[in-house]
Amino acid sequence: MQLSDRVTGAVLIALGGAAAIFGARLPAVPGQDVGPAAFPMLIGGGLALCGGLIAFGIGHSFEVPEEGDDPAPPGSLHLGRLRPLIPTALLFFYVLAVERLGFLPTAAVVVLLAAIALGARLRLAIPLAIIAPLCVHLAFYKLLRVPLPAGILPAPW
Amino acid sequence: MHDLLEAFRLVAAPDVLVAILASAIYGLVVGSLPGLSATMATALLVPVTFWLSPIAAIATIITASAMAIFSGDIPGCLLRIPGTPASAAYTDEAYAMTRKGQAEMALGAGLWFSAIGGIVGTLSLVLMAPLLAEMALSFSTYEYFWLAFLGLMCATLVARSSPIKAIASMLLGLLISCIGMENPAGTPRFTFGLTDLLGGIEPIPALVGVFAVSEVMRAMVTAEPPKLPKRKFGSILANQWMLTKKYQWPMWRGNIIGIIIGVLPGAGADMAAWVSYAMSKRFSKEPEKFGTGHPEGLVEAGASNNASLASGWVPSLLFGIPGDTITAIAIGVLYMKGLNPGPTLFTERASSMYALYIIFIIANIIMIPLGIMMIRAASVILRAPRAGVMPVIILLCAVGSYATGNNLFAVVLVGLFGMLGFVMEKNGYPVAALVLGIVMGSMVEQSFITSLIKSDGDVMPFFERPVSAVLAALTFSALLWPVGVWIWNRIRHPRLPAGGATG
Repeated sequence: MQLSDRVTGAVLIALGGAAAIFGARLPAVPGQDVGPAAFPMLIGGGLALCGGLIAFGIGHSFEVPEEGDDPAPPGSLHLGRLRPLIPTALLFFYVLAVERLGFLPTAAVVVLLAAIALGARLRLAIPLAIIAPLCVHLAFYKLLRVPLPAGILPAPW
Repeated sequence: MHDLLEAFRLVAAPDVLVAILASAIYGLVVGSLPGLSATMATALLVPVTFWLSPIAAIATIITASAMAIFSGDIPGCLLRIPGTPASAAYTDEAYAMTRKGQAEMALGAGLWFSAIGGIVGTLSLVLMAPLLAEMALSFSTYEYFWLAFLGLMCATLVARSSPIKAIASMLLGLLISCIGMENPAGTPRFTFGLTDLLGGIEPIPALVGVFAVSEVMRAMVTAEPPKLPKRKFGSILANQWMLTKKYQWPMWRGNIIGIIIGVLPGAGADMAAWVSYAMSKRFSKEPEKFGTGHPEGLVEAGASNNASLASGWVPSLLFGIPGDTITAIAIGVLYMKGLNPGPTLFTERASSMYALYIIFIIANIIMIPLGIMMIRAASVILRAPRAGVMPVIILLCAVGSYATGNNLFAVVLVGLFGMLGFVMEKNGYPVAALVLGIVMGSMVEQSFITSLIKSDGDVMPFFERPVSAVLAALTFSALLWPVGVWIWNRIRHPRLPAGGATG
């Protein structure tokens, strides 16, 4: 996900500009000069300015170069450049599935897929996918009283 | 005196003692695992603090963060991979000592001087906080605005990156904090019609996403760190007294630099370690030995990062302005537990403050025996496969962020912030500045808008009051510092292409 400074700078200009424009349209508080619009306009303007400076490469000399990406760990899923999206995708899956399936099955799927994506053997991934959700459920449901949904597979406690 | 006795009673409660011990072990283990930072350890603790008494909640945060900052030294020393960013400054040095066969001395120095740094930092907190509290009672919104702004500027100044990118990160954080209706006018802003966004973006999902999820993402694209060979350690503390006497001055310098950097709002332990290591090399009698396994820098920087941890609580407790990302989390917990930060905390809740000091001292003392046990167990714990640890972290991110409000939207936010943090880090945008922007956004806006309303839109009162004038001058010098460095570099090396990073 290494992008050039021109790209990130342009994104910041667009974002800052949008924030300033939409911020300026916010309704004012009657009888007051400064209202809810002032701060977003200021921030948006500053952000757009920074974006411009970054796009022109100003301040680049201060940066410490970061090491490049290592090759993917062997024996894992070959998704190429989409690999970093796996954790977020798993979290979104959790959000969509947890109410219907219940905590234990959803968590087991999340842990299993994450472990396999990181190159774990099934000998490690399957026991982990069974034990970790049970431990987390015990800690959060029993001790911390977080209402985790039961779904199709209620916990034994 | 009565308050002090009351404080001892508060700390001696069984739940507090259990919380200290459990969070100490948790902090040591998490801090030692590469990729799991002290900030992340603290962020994942927040849902647990909901169900603890106020003092026990604060105790878990203090203890876990102190332990994690120390135990980050362990993989740095043995594998040349810093366990936490705060150890990165001297990882090469510690590893060079291990290769010379002095692993015990390097680990012992990390442990011994971490504990000393932590205790000296705590003493500075005890001495400084009440003095500053007297002063802070006379502060008005103008001073609070400059303090918050200065904190944000410090966060951008100390980032090891382009200052402009750091400022952009900080502004992005402030923009994110605009979301919702928690602004002086109570107008819903940037909610895109989503009711979930009306309440604004809480700092905890942002922190968990930026520091934990993005770390799992990084694990997806990097190779697994090498396994630690099994080894037996000799005596850990054998030579430490000798080192203490030999490097007394560097140690004190490290403590003082750590305290100063900790007190500066926005600058934390990792910066303290970098600055102290550089100072140590600059003022050493034998600078040529640095990098070859020389303990002097280790002594200074190891003391410095732990000293900054305690003094980072000074601005947090007094003004509600985080000293670093860890205290940014702590402030949230303080509010949740009814210990709202502010100068009155020291007059009205004195016993709680004493209890906090006592917990700091206890944490730094038990660090030594527990740290020795951790070092001896390191070869087992560091063998934990990454593919086994990271999936559990993902699960804890989901459950932990859900638990903060029993709301699944927080889990979505964690995923989005994870991506944002990953992309930002890859492109040289410091994420700590983003987080501080999110945490401090509402405070900056509140004090700014209220001040403007008070002065009828006039900006002069921001500079006319004596304390606010001083703070304004400091803020502008922080803002102009990178420009000065840039011009200085141009004058000294007129024809040199971009290089020679300073700052």
